[in-house]
Amino acid sequence: MAGVPQATKVELATPRVGRWLMRTMLRACGRRPAQANLPQRWTVQLHPRNVMTACLVVAGLLASATPGLSSTLDELPLDRWKELREVERYQLNVAEKYYREKNWKVGLAEYEKFLTLYERSVGAPYAQLKWSLCQIQLRKQNTAIKEGFQSVIDYWPDSPQAIAAAYYIGQAYKEMGETRKAKQAFESVLGEHPQHFAATLAAVDLVDLTMIDGDIKARVAFWKQLTFDMPRTKESKRYCETASRSLAAHQFEFGVFDDAVGALATTYAETSLAVQVAGVVRDPIKRLLGDEKRQVQGEQLADRAAAWLRSHLPPAGTTDAEQQAARQHWYLIADVQAAAGNAEKVAETYEEILQKYGTADEPLGRYANWLKSTSKYDEARQQYARFKDRIEGQNQIAYSFRQQGNYEAAVAAYQTNLARDVEHAVRWHEQIAATYRSARNYPAAIAVYEQLWKTDAKDAEKWLWALATTYRDAGKYKEAIGHYRQCNNFPNNYSEMAACHRAMKDYKEAIILYGQIVGGAPNSAAWAMLQIGHTQEQAGNKELAIKAFQQVCKSYPRASYASQAHAHLQNKYKITVTLGGGTDK
Amino acid sequence: MSQPEPTAPQPPRWSLALTALFSAAWVLAWGSWLWVPWERTWLVAAQATVFAAALPIAIAWVVWCRRQVPFASRASYLVVTWTYATVWQLGLFLLSRLAWPTAATLLARLGTAGFFFIGLAWTVWAIDRAGQRRQRARQLARSAQLQLEALPSRHAAMPAEARTSDPLDPQAWYYGQHNAKLNQSITALGTYSLLFLLAFLFVSQVGGCRDIYEMPAGGGQQKQLAQTVKVQKIIKKKFVVNPFSAISFKVPPIDEVKLQLTEVTEHAYTVGYGAGAGAGFAGGTKQGKVRFIRLEYAGGDWDQDFGIGADVNMLIEYGIRTTQKVEQRTESRTVAQLKSFPAEKSPALVYLTGQRNISLSDSEVKILRSYLLEKHGMIFGDNGGSSHFHNQFVGMMRRVLPNVRPTRIPLDDTIHRIPYQIPFLPYVAPHGGKDALGWRVDGRLVCYYHPGDIGDAWTDDHSGVAPEIYESCYQLGTNVIFYAHTEYSKWLESRKQQK
Repeated sequence: MAGVPQATKVELATPRVGRWLMRTMLRACGRRPAQANLPQRWTVQLHPRNVMTACLVVAGLLASATPGLSSTLDELPLDRWKELREVERYQLNVAEKYYREKNWKVGLAEYEKFLTLYERSVGAPYAQLKWSLCQIQLRKQNTAIKEGFQSVIDYWPDSPQAIAAAYYIGQAYKEMGETRKAKQAFESVLGEHPQHFAATLAAVDLVDLTMIDGDIKARVAFWKQLTFDMPRTKESKRYCETASRSLAAHQFEFGVFDDAVGALATTYAETSLAVQVAGVVRDPIKRLLGDEKRQVQGEQLADRAAAWLRSHLPPAGTTDAEQQAARQHWYLIADVQAAAGNAEKVAETYEEILQKYGTADEPLGRYANWLKSTSKYDEARQQYARFKDRIEGQNQIAYSFRQQGNYEAAVAAYQTNLARDVEHAVRWHEQIAATYRSARNYPAAIAVYEQLWKTDAKDAEKWLWALATTYRDAGKYKEAIGHYRQCNNFPNNYSEMAACHRAMKDYKEAIILYGQIVGGAPNSAAWAMLQIGHTQEQAGNKELAIKAFQQVCKSYPRASYASQAHAHLQNKYKITVTLGGGTDK
Repeated sequence: MSQPEPTAPQPPRWSLALTALFSAAWVLAWGSWLWVPWERTWLVAAQATVFAAALPIAIAWVVWCRRQVPFASRASYLVVTWTYATVWQLGLFLLSRLAWPTAATLLARLGTAGFFFIGLAWTVWAIDRAGQRRQRARQLARSAQLQLEALPSRHAAMPAEARTSDPLDPQAWYYGQHNAKLNQSITALGTYSLLFLLAFLFVSQVGGCRDIYEMPAGGGQQKQLAQTVKVQKIIKKKFVVNPFSAISFKVPPIDEVKLQLTEVTEHAYTVGYGAGAGAGFAGGTKQGKVRFIRLEYAGGDWDQDFGIGADVNMLIEYGIRTTQKVEQRTESRTVAQLKSFPAEKSPALVYLTGQRNISLSDSEVKILRSYLLEKHGMIFGDNGGSSHFHNQFVGMMRRVLPNVRPTRIPLDDTIHRIPYQIPFLPYVAPHGGKDALGWRVDGRLVCYYHPGDIGDAWTDDHSGVAPEIYESCYQLGTNVIFYAHTEYSKWLESRKQQK
């Protein structure tokens, strides 16, 4: 029969994911694979109608994967997708497409259409839920709660969406600032469905609500619930982990060290526990030391943490990996002591590391960085000088001179590297030029950049821009404009050129350039129009300036520049008719 | 003034008695104008009559002085002082009736400064005069003592001069031996300044404790305004058959029909809350009116566009749209003055705008917190022109209500639906974003923050924005004022029931 689609024989080589996908597709097509495990090569006869159905299922799966806090609550489970009739699936996919595109109004209408046409469908509670989520996006939280989420609970109380709806009611109330109602809703979800993912989210939101009313006791209780009681699924894992870290930080701060470690141990394996303990304990130490009344507790906590880390040192091995692991553990001890501001103990720890593992560059670099953080630059440079990689050591020395503002010494150090490391001459020239710029020695910087521009064709654009900005900083605006003109990064180069013209009081040229930005770069148009107004003002053309400012208000009412133009017109010119005005639509 | 005064001509006794009587009436009128919060027509008329009558009396006294007494005499100074006080207050009264708050404030400040110096001059004169009297008395006593010493008598030895503690006497022991006169002057200046300050505080602050706010009595429903559409069919006849044909048949209805739709906003109900008659609120009073009060604060420009149309226009529009009674003029109050409103007679809403800093002391923060939470008030914030003000406002609210987070107000919230449905948030310029923020306590909005200079849309020229935008801004303003008063009325009702 002509026109009737024929079944096609397809031979598939299926990897594991492919096999899972195929099983899903086949189930959706109403066919069951003969075996639990599909063979490596699978031959199926696919009818075009079934292929389309399967594609729709996959599309539906992909469509419902929306990002956000509660990414899985607003998805239709797979078994429900397959229960939908083809027409229902089609309509739901249309709605999902608009939802995915964040076209909330159309999405809302499409979900409503689904509900009108297929009220008794298994997808109806889902459509109602998504309709409500569209309302939330359209900032109609009250409508979403009363006519959406509540309907899901009332009409389909046994559907999985009912639990999600109960959670979303709490979230909508929270968004509206109705904390009491939000709390009630979240507590109800937590109490009635403690093992559901919605309960995890509700607990997270409840923690947030305790931040508002300052109820620390309740907050700790929710953290504990999240850490110890909640099932850690793929979706809920990250919330439970965050809660365990927060709980540990709180317990560290209030002197319950072992419990804090226990909380972290629920999330992290033995191998990474030390890293986490050291990472989490630092903030409480700093907080306690920052409070005069609790300084002693801070010091005790630092000592306790350091002692705990020492007691959990990995066994000394002989391989590089084992040594590296041990060294990393020692760094954690040093970091904790650094957080406590105990300079002597930090120095002792690094000395111990160097004694145990030899003078490697990594511990030396860390030690030197810590010395720099305590403004001991000379001592830091002594450590850099011990680097095995002399070039990197010299580079760090030069950088430390730059940080101190000793530019001559920095240039000298870079030049030493230039002589030693000819292969990377460009890198050292760049550093030298940057140092000259920092020292405001613009002629020297320009000379180096000129040389780089000529020799390093690969990054010519970069050197051109650096040259132009250096000329601008040096006040040589004509030369700067000449170099900016050769750059290709429109509209940045045009805005810089215009700024140079304004600095030279050549306002006409500046306005022309800003005009070109208005015409050629829609994203920067409002800003450029505002600059035209300011330039006209500088040029003494008050009327034209006013027109330009009014133009900003009128043409770009939603941009923040409209706000600036409006305020400027009112404050400077006492003009109330600023034009503009808009809505949040 | 220290010289003995020549005998000056005395005015007729009847004129002195009449002036004294009038002065008493003037003080009464002044006190009522300053402290009586109710505005009755008869009271205002009486005040105006008394204040205005002061002018011819003052002129009469000035003329008399010029004709009868020398220029630098006590009588002329008295007349000048009396004239100054009455004319100054008359000016203040007129300016405040004409609703020129800026000029009134300026005149009040300048007048107070002038009054301080006049009072200081009189103080110096009085102290100097008293000092001279005591000095003369002492000289007389000393000369009598000398005469007694000249007599050969057993009582010739007189006791030493008595130690005095009279502050009016420059010889008082605490003024010391050296520069006694200077010390007395400094003490007098300090004491006078302190007393003047206390009197000023009494008049300006203590007087405010009788400031009350009453809503208009009445009732109504808290629901959306009904929108009706009138449909008018305009049928244009079109002949498609030959009208002169011998065959007669009914012309099919294929005429062109145009629909003319006119959208009409109909007040299908009374805008208000409660069961009373007329538009108003159940918790209101017969004399009560909806007022528009701006909040004065330090650090910035609370008076941005104050008194040039915006607030007044909004208040008038509110009156027209809701048919509730509204005050004719807008007002301003400092944060400290909010404290002086009694709990159930506080303003339901205060308006706060500007574009610079908001600087509040800790006590002002407490007053605002008490106003919002205990007195059930509401703040209507409006960003008058900068993102800096947005941060300032949010920071201020964080201090006032540290346990309340600002949230975006939904478009289907009561405040955006009643009495007008606001389908979008209108703004003049997005200084603080495009979302209205709200601070909610127990489900009630205690603060509504508009990020985009809504006040500029209320001005006479509407800042040049499109008609649908400024109309929306008026509607939003109406909604906010109505919401605040409705919530206040509900609270008053619940308190009555509790009692």
